[in-house]
This record gives sequence, C-alpha cells and structure tokens, in this order.
Amino acid sequence: MERWMWVTVIIAIYLVANLVIGLMAGRRSTKSVTGFVAADRSFGLLVMYFVTGATVFSSFAFLGGPGWAYSRGAAAFYILAYGVLGMAPFYWVGPRVADLGRRLGHVTQAQLIAGRFPSRGLSALIAVISLIAFVPYITLQIEGAGIVINSVTDGHIPFWLGSLVAYGIVILYVLVSGAVAVGWTNTFQGVFMVVIAWALGIYLPYHLYGGIGPMFEGIANARPELLIPPGLAATGQPWSWGSYSTYILVSAIGFMMWPHLFMKAYTAKNDDTLRRTVILFPTFQLFLIPVFLIGFSGVLFPQAPADPDSILPFMILRTQLPAVVVGLFCAGALAASMSTGDALVHAAASILVEDGIWPFVPMTERVRRILMRVLVLLTGAVAYYLALHSGTSLVQLLATAYGVISQLAPPVIAALYWRRATTAGVISGLVAGIATAELFFFHPALKPLGMHEGILGLLVQVPVLVAVSLLTPRQSQEHLDEFFPSASEVESAAKAG
Amino acid sequence: MTLRTARALTVVYLALFLVAAIWPGVLVASRIHPFVFGLPFSFFWYAAWIAGAVPVLYLLDRVERRYRDGGEG
Repeated sequence: MERWMWVTVIIAIYLVANLVIGLMAGRRSTKSVTGFVAADRSFGLLVMYFVTGATVFSSFAFLGGPGWAYSRGAAAFYILAYGVLGMAPFYWVGPRVADLGRRLGHVTQAQLIAGRFPSRGLSALIAVISLIAFVPYITLQIEGAGIVINSVTDGHIPFWLGSLVAYGIVILYVLVSGAVAVGWTNTFQGVFMVVIAWALGIYLPYHLYGGIGPMFEGIANARPELLIPPGLAATGQPWSWGSYSTYILVSAIGFMMWPHLFMKAYTAKNDDTLRRTVILFPTFQLFLIPVFLIGFSGVLFPQAPADPDSILPFMILRTQLPAVVVGLFCAGALAASMSTGDALVHAAASILVEDGIWPFVPMTERVRRILMRVLVLLTGAVAYYLALHSGTSLVQLLATAYGVISQLAPPVIAALYWRRATTAGVISGLVAGIATAELFFFHPALKPLGMHEGILGLLVQVPVLVAVSLLTPRQSQEHLDEFFPSASEVESAAKAG
Repeated sequence: MTLRTARALTVVYLALFLVAAIWPGVLVASRIHPFVFGLPFSFFWYAAWIAGAVPVLYLLDRVERRYRDGGEG
C-alpha cells in the first residue's frame, strides 16, 4: 500500500470516530430548543474546557497561525496577546449571563440584549450581524479541511471531495444531536489538536535545526526583522504599531462577542464550571507556542510553499515522517477546522431561528427545532458553495468580521451593567458603530494611524450610546428589577466591571 | 486575602498585560536577545504574560469561592 493510502485510512478512522461520538452524544439530549441550542445547560468542566479551547482555535490558528509566523514573523504574536485578555472578564460576566439565561429563558446573545432593550428590529439586526460575520468564517473552515486533506494525500483526494466528506460528517452530527454533539466531538478534537501541535512544534525544530534555540539563532542571523514586533505586514513591509496594537485591542474586545463563544455561557451546567473554564483557558492558549514554532521552522527551510497558509502541511510532507504520523497530523488539523466549523454552523442556525425569524413569526417549539435543522443544512451548503467558488476576498471578509462583531460589546455591557441605558441609545449606537466600521473597511486610506476599523467603530458607538440613552427616558423600574435582582449582586458586578 | 484584594490584583495584572502587549509598553520587549528557553525575548514576553495569568486567575478563583461558600460576596 502506498503512503497516501495509509494517510487516507487514518483520516477515515478519525472521521468515523467523530461521527460515532457526535451521534452517540445526541442520545443524552432532550428534544427541546434548550436541548438543541444549549445542550440542556448540562456541560461539565472537562467538556467545557475543550469545547471552549477547540472552538476558539480554528483553521485560522492551526494553518493561519504558522502561516503568519512563517511569512510575517512577530506580527503573529498579536494572536498570542488577545485571548487571555478577552476571556478573563468572562469570569464575572459569564455567570451573570448564565443566571439571566436560566431565569428569563435566554439561549442566545441577542435574546439577552433584546430582553433588556425590547425591540424586534434590534434582535433581527444582531442576527444579521452574526450571519455576516459567520458565513465567511465557516467557509474558511471548510476550505481549511479541503486543503489539508488534499495536500497530505498528494492530491489523490480532490479538494471538493475532502471538504465535502469532512463537512458532511459535521453537518450530520450537528443535525442529529445539536449542541451536545458539538460538545463531545470538540472534547475529542481538542485533545487531538493539543497533542499533535506540541509533538510537531518540538519535533520539527529539533529534527531540522538541532533545537529551538539554534533555530531562532539561525533566524536572528538571516532574517532578524521577523523576530521583532510588530513584524511584517502582508506586503512584506514592516507592520505599523498602530495597526498591531489595535488588532490586539479589537480582538480582545470582540473575542467573547462571537455568538458561538458567548452562547457557551448557556451550555454550562453551573457557574463554577463556567468560572473554571475561564481560569483554565490560559493553559489552552499556550498551545499557540508550538503552533508558531512549526511556522518558524519553515523560515530557513530551503524550499517554500506556494502559499504561506499551507506551510504546516508543506513541512509535514518534507520530513520523511511515517505515514501514520502524517495521518494523525492531518486529523489534528481537521480537528481544528471541524471543531470551530460545527459550533459556527450550529450557532448560525440557532440565531437565525431564535432571533431573526421567531420574533416575527410565532412558531411552536417543534417547528423551531425542525427549522433550525433545515438551516444547519442550508448554512453548510452555502458555505460549501462559497469554499469551492471563492477567491482570496474571504480573508478580507473575515478581517471585517471582527470589526463588526466587536460592535456587540457595548450593547452587551450596557445590558448587564448600565441601568440608565435605553433601547434607543443602544440601537443608535450600534448602527453608528457598524456604519463607521464599514466606512473605514471600504476606505482603508482614511484610517488614522492604520487603526483597525473595529476600534474606530467603537470610538463612535460608545459616545452615541451614552448620549442618546441620557436624552431618552429611563426604563421602568419593574423592567430593571428583572435584570438587576438584588443590591448585593449589582455591587459585586460593579466591582468586577 | 480579601475578595477586594484578589479582584484588584487580577484587574491590575490584566491591565499590565494589556499595556505590555501593545504600543508603547511592548517596546521594552521588542528585541531578540536575550533568549529565554530557546525563544527570542519578544516571543518569550508574550508567552510569559499568558503563563503568569494562570496563578493570578487561580488565586482569584480560590478567594472568590471561599467568599461564595461563606455566603458573602
């Protein structure tokens, strides 16, 4: 049997294992909307840890991370910087969101915001924002899966087939089992990613250069510009401090605003689980270290891949590693893609129904669950189509996705912590913020200091939100009492805020 | 340690992390040498701030839990 066949066998075993775990998990879930969207609020610490870690680290981290380290050097460190900063506030925010969810029946972020600021238009606006950000993100995951399978099988499995099989499996287990499947498969996928990344990240520098230190000494002599922040821009020119710094800021602010991550607050069994997931998250974040080492190991390698993002499979195929190891690596990379892709597809369908359609068209619980499944299929199909027919513009779309998603931060914070905020204030702030972010996205030459358009949007949104809220009448006391139950809770929240 | 101290410590650590991660704070670490654990200093700098968050958050959680179990907080 040839090498690529062995690789294919390993991948096939891995994919079947995913399918089995995903389908088995569904037998534990109830047939309700809360069951499908929030796994009956049942996840314990182990599952939450890997769900969160594996969902955060997508194809972007596993393929894009090494790609950035390889081609842009220290610019990649921005990816290291924001995760912990973005996650830590969730130690206090998460349990509060979960508590409101249990009392008021929320399962999505938009329900929280539109619950505090009643407006069906606001709910629909958030659903639209989420979708605009999600579709290119899902498409990128599908592309990642197709690229990995195609390259490690020496092109024997074409791109369209590899991505179709991998995502066919994802769609199948999400359809059958909902959030529970996402949880248990991500636990499996998360373990895979971490082990493979550390093993390769240490193996490659030792195998090629005799150690991590000698590898960096070599880079310091030949390409010192790669090791000094802010590294290089995509053009190969030095990146600007303004751009580097605001990328970190907008990513830290936008991080937990991604609806598929935010909604994890609703899946945790209890507040302690949620808090401990936050406490343990930095240990998962350290997994980026070997990922970057893999990218740096390509810098002094005599040959170069066609595209920086494929540096990881490129290096793997040139190490003479046994086929089993190559297959396992491939499974790790697929894990990164699938563990984010499933959460995204699942969240996109849940949000469309709960926030985009249900507020306008009354439906029974059964119809909502069926509709969610139809939309899982539809979202997957649209993203698959885009993955086959898109150019490089998707990377650009994803870049603007952070700019748009980060605009959800002020409404969430206002809903949870600012009693004087009003519906009119939040809607006008959000619209102004998004308009600003889009303006600078389409006219990048106007950006002051190369700042990220998301930060510019926030700089406009916050004053508008505050000013319009103060100019409009305060919300009724009964309504506020629902959201701010007791004085002691408000006090602890204020300390945390 | 009181709840207030633990929370203040965490917030201060995260604020310093933020300052250290972006311009101008990161300028002190924007260098290749000295190497630490085989990593260039700039790389080690970010890794160290993440690793440092582990004990800080762990301590916070211990204190928060003691207060919650005691029915205060």
